[in-house]
Amino acid sequence: MDTDFLLVSEGVAEGPSSATVPLKPPRKKIKVNREEILGTLFAAIPLIGFMIFAFVPLILAVVMAFLNVPGWDIGGATLADKGGFGNFITVLTDPLFWDSVVNTLILGTSTLISQFFALFIAYFLSKDIKGRGVLRIIYFMPYVCSVVAVTLMWQYMFNTNYGIINQMLGKTGDNAIDWLGSSDYFSLAVIIMSVWSGMGYGILLYSAALTNVNQSLVEAARIDGAGAVRVFWNVILPTISPTSLYLLIMGVIGALQSFSVTQILASGGGPNNDGVTIVFYMYQRIFNGRNTMGVASAAACVLAVMILFVTMLQFLGSRRWVKYDN
Amino acid sequence: MTTETLQPAVEQAPPAITDAQIRRSKAKKIISKVVIYAILVLYAIIILFPFFIVFITSLKTAFDASKSQFEWIPSEGYTFAAYGAVLTYLPPMIEGIPLIIRGFLNTLLYILPPTLIGLTTSSISAYAFAKLRFRAKKWMYAVLLATMMIPGTIMIVPQYTIYDMIYWTETPLPLMIPGMFGAAACVFFMRQFYAGIPDSIIEAAKLDGLGFLGIFFWIMVPLSVPALLAQGLLGFIGGYNDYLGPLLYLRSDPGIFSLQIALRYIVDKRGIDEPNLSMAASIVALLPTLIIYFICQKFFIEGIVTSGLKQ
Repeated sequence: MDTDFLLVSEGVAEGPSSATVPLKPPRKKIKVNREEILGTLFAAIPLIGFMIFAFVPLILAVVMAFLNVPGWDIGGATLADKGGFGNFITVLTDPLFWDSVVNTLILGTSTLISQFFALFIAYFLSKDIKGRGVLRIIYFMPYVCSVVAVTLMWQYMFNTNYGIINQMLGKTGDNAIDWLGSSDYFSLAVIIMSVWSGMGYGILLYSAALTNVNQSLVEAARIDGAGAVRVFWNVILPTISPTSLYLLIMGVIGALQSFSVTQILASGGGPNNDGVTIVFYMYQRIFNGRNTMGVASAAACVLAVMILFVTMLQFLGSRRWVKYDN
Repeated sequence: MTTETLQPAVEQAPPAITDAQIRRSKAKKIISKVVIYAILVLYAIIILFPFFIVFITSLKTAFDASKSQFEWIPSEGYTFAAYGAVLTYLPPMIEGIPLIIRGFLNTLLYILPPTLIGLTTSSISAYAFAKLRFRAKKWMYAVLLATMMIPGTIMIVPQYTIYDMIYWTETPLPLMIPGMFGAAACVFFMRQFYAGIPDSIIEAAKLDGLGFLGIFFWIMVPLSVPALLAQGLLGFIGGYNDYLGPLLYLRSDPGIFSLQIALRYIVDKRGIDEPNLSMAASIVALLPTLIIYFICQKFFIEGIVTSGLKQ
């Protein structure tokens, strides 16, 4: 495609130029044109993909939220009841949806916990440490592991009867904790495994940010009599605040969309439906065979608004505490 | 500057600092160092521990793996039986290649073409954004960056409807085709890289008669091999580990399962009674990514740090 186009443009362009006008100036003009066309074309490829596979669905998500869709057949859709707002009313009055919001937020705290600990590990790692390379490779290992395998690993370790975690806590026999089967412990277990697998990314980004901290500034603060804690708080933390903001936004956006871990642990939803996150709620409504695609779309719209709101909140908040150098 | 201001202070200070104080501050330093090492090593152990447990379990018999007391040396001895069972497992409906191997091959088939083609389209686009002049550049780039902020999961419902309409559900096409148009994150990363390549090289190539595509393939690509490798690896691992996509689109036919779905399937069928088997299956699924990671960890880490972006 690209090369065909190239040939055509060349042929068309060179015909008149060689026949009528002196050679040099038009050639320059043709070159600029080609750059203009090719540049736009090359740059457009990902945008075309986005248009087809994301922009159209995005519009459709909003449209579908106002429709009653039989099965998955958008062609047979009719306007939802209550003037089109029926799906939104269904979602917003569904206790399970609100459960899913609460569950998502509870499980989402793992992001904040990960980020907090990642900062400290990265800070310690930034000291004059031998074997830093090896440690970093180990810390980052969970990130490349598939969520299915990692979840299965932890499912085994959290097992009530033969899981090593109960054994290490001395909770065996009648005292055994039913981590994944009881509502009291399910969320905690999921948070633990999410922190375990999520910290590596934060450590990596914080490590990179910490190497950019201006050492002469740190020295100056030391000479002025600041202790390690004050240096960390007043010099290092402000310098790495853009990284903190980035991790926070990405973490929260990711957390609001969490799905896989709880779906793998409990495809039915878990004890007391504690594993049903917002995306899980949508997923159930795609495949439950009860013509609820419209309801799922309405839930997606609510989720989109939540994500937009959180992102804006964080950007606004960032003006107060993020310090950009350049 | 700092040393100049420091020296007079030190000259005045000596009478105040006694030997004991120096020793104390040295001791303090050593203690803090020990504490830091202890924390870092402890955390490394926390990361590695589950892998050890899982690996040991995968070498046990089902009986030993379900004992209420974990044994480092199982009473029935170590065995590769669980791996044998995983690697030969066939669900009732299909014949021929065992499910997990089929899943692995399917995954390669689904992931490699979009990764390679997507990498090419992303980097051509990045090259245009970095080095070519065209009027729409600014707003096109702004739109592209904005697309990165759109959370993917809010589109799963309409996407499923659309793919169902064009008969793409129950085929791997929804997992393959969209990625071939490139990814905004990858464009962003490669553009940063290409922007750093001096214009003089490109001017020289132009004088030598290379066209815009020629410059891309003969100058930009060879200069950006490490960056391309980093992005390619991230794309590959992301696709290999993807769970939601295959779960949505490959639901009924085990013959076309991706590895992750095959893994889940085996564990659902056999793993409840045989935890050794589900652990062996997990290890089999993890091994390829871990091996690639250990060999290419430098590219991985650089790729992630420089782009600051998750797949």
